[in-house]
Amino acid sequence: MATEKSDDREWKKGGAELLIMSLLEEQSRHGYDICKLIEARSAGALRFHVTTLYPLLYRLEERGLVHGRWVEKPNQRRRRYYSLTAEGRKTLVRQRQNWQGFIEAMSRVMGVKNA
Amino acid sequence: MPDWKQELAKRLEHLEIDPGREAAIIEELSQHLDDRYEELLLGGSSESEARRTVLEELERSDIPAWALPSTVRNSARRAPLTPAALPSGNLFADFTRDLKFGVRSLIKVPAFSFFAILTLALGIGATTTVFTVVNTLLLHPLPAPDPSRLACLYTTDLKNQRTSSDVLPVSYLNLKDFRAGNTVFTSLGGFSSPMVMTLTENKNSERFFGEIVTQGFFEALDITPAKGRFFSPGEISAPGSAPVAVLSYSAWKVRFNSAPDIIGKVLDLNGSSFAVIGVAPQGFLGVSAIFGPDVWLPATMAQQVLTAPMHDVLTERGKPFFQTVARLKPAISRSQAEASLQPLATALRQQYPDANAGHAVSVQPVTTALYSSTGGERGLQFVSIVLLVLVGLVLLIACSNVANLLMARAVKRRQEIALRLAIGASRGRLLRQLLTESVLLSVLGGIVGLVVGYEGCQLLWSFRPPDVVRNLVGPKLDGTVFLFALLLSIATGFIFGVVPSLRASRTGLVDSLKEETHIAGLGGRSARFQKTLVAGQVALSLVALIASSLFLRAVQRAYDINPGFDHRHIAVFMMNPEQIGFDATRLKDFHREAAHRVSKIPGVASVSWASNMPFWASASRGVVIEGQEQQRKSETLSTITNAVDVRYFDTMRIPLLEGRAFADADQEGSLPVVIINEDLARRYWPSGNAIGQHLRLSGDTVTRHIVGVVRTSNYATLGEAPQPSIYLPMRQNPGGNFILYVRTAGDPALLLGTVQREIRDVAPAVDITDVRTGAKLMDQVLWNERIVLAMLGTFGLFALALASVGLYGILAYSVSSRQREIGVRMALGASRSAVLRLVLRQGTTLVCVGAGVGLALSLLIGRIFSRMLFGLSPADPLSLAAACLLLILVAMLACWLPALTASRTNPMRALREG
Repeated sequence: MATEKSDDREWKKGGAELLIMSLLEEQSRHGYDICKLIEARSAGALRFHVTTLYPLLYRLEERGLVHGRWVEKPNQRRRRYYSLTAEGRKTLVRQRQNWQGFIEAMSRVMGVKNA
Repeated sequence: MPDWKQELAKRLEHLEIDPGREAAIIEELSQHLDDRYEELLLGGSSESEARRTVLEELERSDIPAWALPSTVRNSARRAPLTPAALPSGNLFADFTRDLKFGVRSLIKVPAFSFFAILTLALGIGATTTVFTVVNTLLLHPLPAPDPSRLACLYTTDLKNQRTSSDVLPVSYLNLKDFRAGNTVFTSLGGFSSPMVMTLTENKNSERFFGEIVTQGFFEALDITPAKGRFFSPGEISAPGSAPVAVLSYSAWKVRFNSAPDIIGKVLDLNGSSFAVIGVAPQGFLGVSAIFGPDVWLPATMAQQVLTAPMHDVLTERGKPFFQTVARLKPAISRSQAEASLQPLATALRQQYPDANAGHAVSVQPVTTALYSSTGGERGLQFVSIVLLVLVGLVLLIACSNVANLLMARAVKRRQEIALRLAIGASRGRLLRQLLTESVLLSVLGGIVGLVVGYEGCQLLWSFRPPDVVRNLVGPKLDGTVFLFALLLSIATGFIFGVVPSLRASRTGLVDSLKEETHIAGLGGRSARFQKTLVAGQVALSLVALIASSLFLRAVQRAYDINPGFDHRHIAVFMMNPEQIGFDATRLKDFHREAAHRVSKIPGVASVSWASNMPFWASASRGVVIEGQEQQRKSETLSTITNAVDVRYFDTMRIPLLEGRAFADADQEGSLPVVIINEDLARRYWPSGNAIGQHLRLSGDTVTRHIVGVVRTSNYATLGEAPQPSIYLPMRQNPGGNFILYVRTAGDPALLLGTVQREIRDVAPAVDITDVRTGAKLMDQVLWNERIVLAMLGTFGLFALALASVGLYGILAYSVSSRQREIGVRMALGASRSAVLRLVLRQGTTLVCVGAGVGLALSLLIGRIFSRMLFGLSPADPLSLAAACLLLILVAMLACWLPALTASRTNPMRALREG
């Protein structure tokens, strides 16, 4: 059980990182925004909580893929906005290709099997 | 809007995030939670529902440390649960981390920490108190530089030079010759013992203790005055030339309120004026570890301040009056000094055979003089060791109590420890961390312990007789004590921490599960260890209790020791009319009239005068026996001399064995007579024909006729070995320093006021400096013993209390973990009394084993301190029985409470919840 669970976790983590980077490709966003977008775009199928999202963001930041900075706007609390770095963009392109390749391969395998 | 920050901080706490970064993370996350909360409210949730949902989502997964990147994590690199378990390779960093972790884990269990710190503080505090006494009296008794280079010169018997402990002071003239002729001392000076003087100010007189000192005294000690200066050589050479005085620091502080203009102040002492020229340094009591004077005066002023019989101390070579202190020249040892002084001593013998016949000189360490009033250094060392050992027992019990608590806690922490080991913490590293925790605990205990120790000293020192507070040594709570407490705390932490830590760090996951079931029935290794600890505590506390009950009995016994006189209906009154200017005729009238008036008071049985205080005498004069001079020259016996009035032996109830007591006819001008004690008679006239013989006091030309022999009594202390003593008739040896002895029919305390009024009626100006009843005299002579008894008693009860708490703790713990088992037993038909018996049996076994070991230990240890027991056997059945009974009563109470709880177990509930 334990092994299965942790594999699942790793796998999810890789996917989650890709999701986050994809959302930051268009514009910089704060954490809550990212959460909501993931939930909305997956029609509620994927849901991130505080405790999953932020460790991922910090990890991406540490690897230099995203960059977080505090932004203060008039009459609003300051918020931390994350944007993709140049390195992040390159990684996103590469990972997206990998994923697409992976999903196609999976679909092919599963499609054959299912057929 | 709820404040999420606290919730978040709690969850992030174990991750050891950099504080700055942590604040930013908390801010960011709490904004997120705010957003989520608002969203839920908009969705129609109530405030409380929304709050609950947010918290639940937060709860769903705590942020695991692995999830955080290293820039966020501080030290949480590879340890998800308890980060402190892994080595960083840097000892200091590890230590700080362990310390932080330790502080946090102690804060988490406040009740445990409080109890452990309190227990340790009491143990360390009590030990610190005893150590402060040792530090004050034995380690730093003399605030002079390099005290090991100080020595004392004594007059001793030529024949028994090496073995004789019977040392005498040195006469002024001999001292002067030793000063002039020696080549081994940088400085040599003499001092008297503290003498009662009368300080008169604005017509009020009060008691003031003064010492007279010779040239070289302050120089030998090499101390610096706190104010002003010490005597200059010019002031201390010609008799009567310089009426100057040096005050003690505490007299300046207490008596004169630290007056800034004290230098130059004129003191009226014994009717002469003295100008204050200096104040001695703080804590300086002269050459004494215990008792110091209020003032030092030049010896050359002896004539002005001393009573008539002592007026010749500067001119009479046969009067050994001065104790001495000398500083050895560098590289000269005491024995070398002694050897090099012998030619001088020989010359003095040959030149002044009358005064110095049979006398040699001995050079002893300064400690001989320092402890001369306390029965020597050895006795004090012995008492200190006994007290330290006993207080050490208390500390050991405290340690084992805390060790027990740690063991109980280790059970609860087992999972945490097992996980730490599982993720790769080494056992050594874990051990270090657990030990850091226990040392942290003990150092905190030590800090509180210092406060306890300070208060203990205050309490102990508050037992000082109030009238001599400024003359007695004060507690020295200095760096040595501080260092001692610190080292003791660290050592304590290791002592009680090492076994629980070793055991805890040995835990494996499997083991921890296995032991979980064992501990419930107090089986298993840890439980065995805990039981051993408790039995050990019982044993140690029994030792402490037996020691205190033995000593209690011994002190009771000491009060029953017959001092050779009947102290029960006696009161003594001290005064010195000579010091306010009474001449010989007035003195004589005063003594006669006062005795007469007091004897007429109803309830007074008998009245007399004597020059010595009971238990305050010391051998001072040599006697030369007529007809035996030649044979015995080298054995000149020093005796206690007491000048007494008629009816003295009646008043004191000292039995007359032969001959007659003094009579009114023994006047000045009549045949000089003397009464000797049995001890002296037996030494010189073993066949019993002392009456009619003659003797002479050394340095005296008068030959005295022995008219009576009285029973030997105690002169210096209670239960002492017999000492030779002679009594002279007061009327042939008049003086101003006589003490009035009053025997009453009833309680003497009731007549104290009346007697003083009568004396004042006779001479209103005479200040009665001190009044003591026989009971008070006994209390004072047994003061040391009573203080030791009070300390032993306190430690004994302390040990008992701690051991009972330990016993209660382990039984209560056992009962609570056996709830289920007890429930099953009761469900199957066991009665309440059966359950009660079951738990009591468990406790009783521990107590009995402990008591057996304690009893055996006490019998062993008792032999060592039997010499403190005034002849009481260390196996005294009454003391042993009393201590055992007290222990068993209290221990049974400690067992009874958990047993009662167990017997009230509700079987159904126990089965459900257990």
